[in-house]
Amino acid sequence: MVETPQNGGYMAAAYIVAAVIYLTYSVTLWLRARRAVRPPV
Amino acid sequence: MTDDLARARALLRTGGIVTLVALLGAAGVYCLALNFTPTEASQGLAQKIFYIHVPAAWGTLVAFSLCGLASAAYLFLLDPRLDRFAASSAEVGLAFAAVMLTTGPIWGRPIWGTYWDWDPRLTLTLLTFFLFLGYGALRSALHDPGERARFSAVIGIMALVLVPFIHLSVYLFRTIHPKPVVLRPEGPALPFEMLRTLLVSVGVFTLLYIGLVTMRYALGIARDHAEADAGGRDG
Repeated sequence: MVETPQNGGYMAAAYIVAAVIYLTYSVTLWLRARRAVRPPV
Repeated sequence: MTDDLARARALLRTGGIVTLVALLGAAGVYCLALNFTPTEASQGLAQKIFYIHVPAAWGTLVAFSLCGLASAAYLFLLDPRLDRFAASSAEVGLAFAAVMLTTGPIWGRPIWGTYWDWDPRLTLTLLTFFLFLGYGALRSALHDPGERARFSAVIGIMALVLVPFIHLSVYLFRTIHPKPVVLRPEGPALPFEMLRTLLVSVGVFTLLYIGLVTMRYALGIARDHAEADAGGRDG
């Protein structure tokens, strides 16, 4: 009988890190692009 | 010239919508992986890192491969759209690579007993990541558009050569990295629920790649427009 290891903390850490990287990059890219495509005043 | 900005705005809107849909899909993948996919008995919950690590690796290799192919095509055709796409794909690939290179070691700590090992696949992946950081730095340092496109295309092609080695490194070298469990000649070695979650995740993160590249391409159009505008005023 295999004893399942208790390592849920690593899973939570990986999921949080991935979400932070994807969200941060998406938002900053959106903001950079929105500023760049604004018509000149 | 204002047509360029109008096109960039339309692309940014489309890319933004696709990215938003993909991010909502990613939330769905988290839910699917955590609540509706069985836990692997010998690895425990850490095995579920697989559902975000593998799609990040897939996104990285697709992004870097397409950057290399577009770079090679640019050197033949000298079409600035190819250079713009290569730059967009490289930058988005770096975001995916950052996820791959952080989630991998987090999985490695409980399973291998160490965050990092100078194993061929890990080392090659890290080198490719640094190569693309250099690609971005080179693009920022060069101001002549033609020179920037030519020089960065050469780096893009060099990195493309590394991609098959990264994929095949688990067969070519002695490595502790697990071998592919889906793309193998005998067919996938995963139970249905795990395979379903992985395939959904790969689909969602491919959509995220498309959305992000579209937004980054819109940014590239706007930058080229601003550069041409400044050049016109100077000249």
